[in-house]
Amino acid sequence: MSDNKWKIGVDVGGTFTDFTLLNDNTGELKFHKVPSTPEDPSQAVDKGLSELTKFYDISAFEIEYFGHGTTVALNMLLERRAPTIGLLTTKGFRDVIEIGRQTRPHLYDYTLKRAPPLARRVDRKEITERITADGSILTPINMEEVELAVKQLGTRGIKAVAICFLHAYLNPDHEILAGEVVRRLMPDAFLSLSCEVLPEFREYERASTTVVNAYVGPKMQDYLVRLEKNLTRNNVITSPHIMHSNGGMLTVKTAAKLPVRTCLSGPAAGVVGAANIASSSGYNNILAFDVGGTSTDVSLVLDGQPLFTSERTVAGYPVKSPAIDVAAIGAGGGSIAWIDGGGALKVGPHSAGASPGPVAYGLGGEHVTLTDANLILGRLNPSTLLAGNIALDFEKAYVKMESQISNPLDLSVEAAATGIIKIASSGIARAIRGVASAKGNSPSEFSLFAYGGAGPLCAADVNEEVGCPRIIIPPAPGTLCARGILLSDLSFDFVRSLLVIAEVDGWEAVMNNFEVLKEQANKLFINDEVILSARSFKYYLEARYMGQSYELRIPLPGQLKSNSLVEFIAAFHVEHKKEFGYELVERPIEIINCRLEAVGKTSKPISEKATQNKTEPEIKETREVYFGSAFGWKETPVYERAGLSHWAKVIGPAVIEEMSSTTILPPNYEATVDNRANLILVESS
Amino acid sequence: MSCDVERGIDAIQVEVFSNRILAIIEEMGAKLVRSSFSPNIKERQDCSVALFDAKGRAIGQAAHIPIHLGSLKGGVDAVLRDFDLDDIEEGDAFICNDAYLAGGTHLPDISIITPVFYSNGLRFFVACVGHHADVGGSVPGSISPSATSIFEEGIRIPPIKIMRRGILQEDIIRLVINNTREPEDRSLDLKVQVATNDFGVIQTKKLIEKMGLEAMEIAVEDLLIYTSRRLKKHLLALRQGSSSFTTWMDDDGLEGQTVPLSANVKIENGHLLIDFSGSGPQSRGAFNVMTTGVIATVSYTVKALLDPDLPANDGLYSVIQLKMPRGSIINPVYPAAVGARTTTCQKLAGAIFGAFAQLLEKEQIMASSHDVLAGMVFSGLSKQGDRRYVYLETIAGGNGAHSKMDGMDGAHCHITNSLNMPVEAVEHEYPLMVEEYCLINGSSGSGRMRGGMGVAREVRALSDDTTFSGRADSFITAAEGYDGGLPGSHCRIIRNYGSQNEIVMAPKQRLISLAAGERVRMETPGGGGLGDPSGRSIDDLAIDLEDQRISVARARLDYGNELTEKALKMISKSNPEWDF
Repeated sequence: MSDNKWKIGVDVGGTFTDFTLLNDNTGELKFHKVPSTPEDPSQAVDKGLSELTKFYDISAFEIEYFGHGTTVALNMLLERRAPTIGLLTTKGFRDVIEIGRQTRPHLYDYTLKRAPPLARRVDRKEITERITADGSILTPINMEEVELAVKQLGTRGIKAVAICFLHAYLNPDHEILAGEVVRRLMPDAFLSLSCEVLPEFREYERASTTVVNAYVGPKMQDYLVRLEKNLTRNNVITSPHIMHSNGGMLTVKTAAKLPVRTCLSGPAAGVVGAANIASSSGYNNILAFDVGGTSTDVSLVLDGQPLFTSERTVAGYPVKSPAIDVAAIGAGGGSIAWIDGGGALKVGPHSAGASPGPVAYGLGGEHVTLTDANLILGRLNPSTLLAGNIALDFEKAYVKMESQISNPLDLSVEAAATGIIKIASSGIARAIRGVASAKGNSPSEFSLFAYGGAGPLCAADVNEEVGCPRIIIPPAPGTLCARGILLSDLSFDFVRSLLVIAEVDGWEAVMNNFEVLKEQANKLFINDEVILSARSFKYYLEARYMGQSYELRIPLPGQLKSNSLVEFIAAFHVEHKKEFGYELVERPIEIINCRLEAVGKTSKPISEKATQNKTEPEIKETREVYFGSAFGWKETPVYERAGLSHWAKVIGPAVIEEMSSTTILPPNYEATVDNRANLILVESS
Repeated sequence: MSCDVERGIDAIQVEVFSNRILAIIEEMGAKLVRSSFSPNIKERQDCSVALFDAKGRAIGQAAHIPIHLGSLKGGVDAVLRDFDLDDIEEGDAFICNDAYLAGGTHLPDISIITPVFYSNGLRFFVACVGHHADVGGSVPGSISPSATSIFEEGIRIPPIKIMRRGILQEDIIRLVINNTREPEDRSLDLKVQVATNDFGVIQTKKLIEKMGLEAMEIAVEDLLIYTSRRLKKHLLALRQGSSSFTTWMDDDGLEGQTVPLSANVKIENGHLLIDFSGSGPQSRGAFNVMTTGVIATVSYTVKALLDPDLPANDGLYSVIQLKMPRGSIINPVYPAAVGARTTTCQKLAGAIFGAFAQLLEKEQIMASSHDVLAGMVFSGLSKQGDRRYVYLETIAGGNGAHSKMDGMDGAHCHITNSLNMPVEAVEHEYPLMVEEYCLINGSSGSGRMRGGMGVAREVRALSDDTTFSGRADSFITAAEGYDGGLPGSHCRIIRNYGSQNEIVMAPKQRLISLAAGERVRMETPGGGGLGDPSGRSIDDLAIDLEDQRISVARARLDYGNELTEKALKMISKSNPEWDF
């Protein structure tokens, strides 16, 4: 038996389920792709696993790590086909989750409604109880009402119950008492308490997060059980780890209890991968964008670290748990081109998706898409995509482009197709500039990092509008998310709101809170069998000047005990000045949340290396590619990505093909291959 | 108007240019929101940013608040009116807010306008506006519905230079901020506004450099032509002709008769004419709307009714003609007060929606929404006892039923869309306790599609000497149902709800004094229904009954016995133990 150790990362996307294999001894990387099975995503995982073990001749016993990014929770929220749940609230507040922040989703479009509450009004039961803003009990909980309410929910066939009482982040007693009744009377129901899911101030966001957790709970549990069974059947002995929204991993046990944390894991994995790959090549500040079939995700990495947000909405529902900050827009390879009432050419937001897909796929797509435009201009391989997995019909795409776009606008087919690419690129660029400026950054200080199947195709066009000094294209850009999973550690976030003034008494409360959180974290580590030396803790305080209503996150460096109040106050002023441009040294500071990030180190960096034999880049073939009216059609060399060795230099125009993506190098660009096999694109001087 | 509609436009460039302009404006908007201090601008995003050409034509805006484009445009026009082009220099920036001197719509909205110079010529203006929480005047917050002249509403600023050749005029800033109740907040926010424009100037210049001045000017013309062409196409698709609608306000801010707001909408050859004749006389209180506010409200309704993504620029205005009788509530004569214009704008938008309803296709129609901006203001000694707090809350209501769906429950309508303050934040911050925050059962206008539900918010004072003011409308009037649909419920304020000393009041109350333990509740209107209630699907009625959005008795009344019985039968199937 060989002593190979393999790590596997699996990312379930809308169209494909991607696998990345890492040989832990040699550092060798392998990739595999199978079509996704949306009805039961574990089928594709199962199929892919058995295919790749056969293909690469791997024994399942050699798999020592199985990391999994899942969209089960996300899809449940998008589709809303699961049964609605029950909710217990403080008397007078059952409509909090329905009123939300009382805004309408679009300023002008009244046909867009808010996402409907996941607990119907009839199943939202009000309980007489009241805790005040200092955490004391004003009205003790009426347990008879709780019993009656839970019985009613039971007779209505409710399968999951959430409980969210006012100020439960300060005093969980009432939620715990009511929770016990649910456990007793509905032993099979999935139960979420807000004091456990998110013990954080602001009732609507806390209730929404707790309700989402209960809503996705039952099905997510089923899925995880199925996944484990499949793995066992395939003789995989390691227990899977599940990616969550902050870019870390959870054990199956924790993910089953807090599935809400997995809602945004897909994009998070890609950003972790991007941050890691870029910083190991020395690029610590990147603007990353992932162009897929229907949408583009944009994120920012500063000093090698992805930015986090704790405010995200998932399918219209606020989910307040730390997540990697990703902005999504509706532009992808499948985005449909059309002409609007004013006579302007538009691309998206409607998408042909994976099915029927672009016209060229020949699967019934009737509307020209961004992918069709790329094909017509010779930017995509005219016959196949994904190493022969998808055949393309050039003729059909051309005819449709003519009839739908170029004839009505009185343009040549080339001009119409170029326009579609320019418009999509300018939309993506606008989103990237928005992400950069939201934190006050200028794109000129960042590298543009392009991934996803269609990212490298339009990277140079996008950068025309963004203005980064260089573009980074990682190896195998279409499977980056699966690689990100292998680069993620076990991690978990704990939070407690306390709302105290930053002075001596308050500081003591802060320290006590952190001790409690640390105890919880260690309990989890013991459960998850994380050894002492692999454990680490990061402490943060979220605070604001009195009178403000938004918080800044201030890290407390190193050991907790070494931090002093005075240093924290100084750090807050500095951070405020850095973030917003001014400080108010006279104003008292209010500490809102203690946050603890517990990390159990499981990963090690993947050190991908470019081939070192310094051969000249070999031209695979040439084809005619159109580079806009300035350059016209050009006989363009096509390279195989794998054939480009370290320091190889390619002068545009060129096309660089690989299995999961295609990189376009316009005539005014050149590319080199760096030590880690990344393509670095810069404008020719 | 000036746009040559026959000229061809570059179908690709117009979209690329639009993205470029929006990228700049959105970056400015992000900077303004990120850096400002006051919760009003930072949290509620009560601010906007826009780009104008040298002639004062709007090219694009980041619209957080639709009414702001009116005041920004008014401000740029006033700068061009009051200053010779020779007197406008690179590095200058203007400040203004006044309704009569600077095209403003009410004094708390302070605009900063900065010229963009390129190769020795004035080419563009970048502008931003923020709602400053206080600008002086007779009451905290500067909005008193019963103010009788603009002199009671705070500091009046005509266009003046807040920056000269790159040097910030600290004396001007001191003058402005010391006429407000929170000088430190004002100073921080004004400086952020100036810096936002400085950033916008740099980005605009970069774009000119990238495109070339001539190409950029052509792109601007194309964008305006494109916008008007896109709107005209929508107008041509409507039934040509005219149609009128009148909504009503309870009074004009002081006690008295109901006030009509009338809109006559005429569509002719792809042009839109709206005549507001028949609207009530100038308000004796602060409910007047300046013409710039009317233009902004009309632009909002055009986008909402015809094309939500239509760019907001001069191309849109060029297709619209308005008749606003002077001396009326929508074109007041100096020095009428204008602070509380939002409620009037809401009603005005409702009137325009109503008039359009008769020209739109049936499936585009929406019944009247709650059409007010309900506000509750509490003031008293802070929890720590060291200062007086002012807490403003806006409360949403029910929106009108749409031909394809029920009206939205508890959501803002028309020209506002601001966030509420979380209950836990209120109780943490102030000596107040929120007793209830809910949708009001039976508040929607019944119909084939029902209106949205109104909202109740009830607050208990925990300390003596708490004052409460409320402002809204529709105590007497209500959101109308269309096409046989029934009207929504009224708006009211109730003191000590459900107790022996309960008092029901109209929703315009000024400085009521509450003792510790006393409660005040505000109930906002529901939306109007659409279509005859007898046409409602049994499923929908059953769900509403089951969810207690309407009582059985009321359902029998509005929907009839037969339909209600069928719905009840359906519920009892899925709820064997259902208790009515």
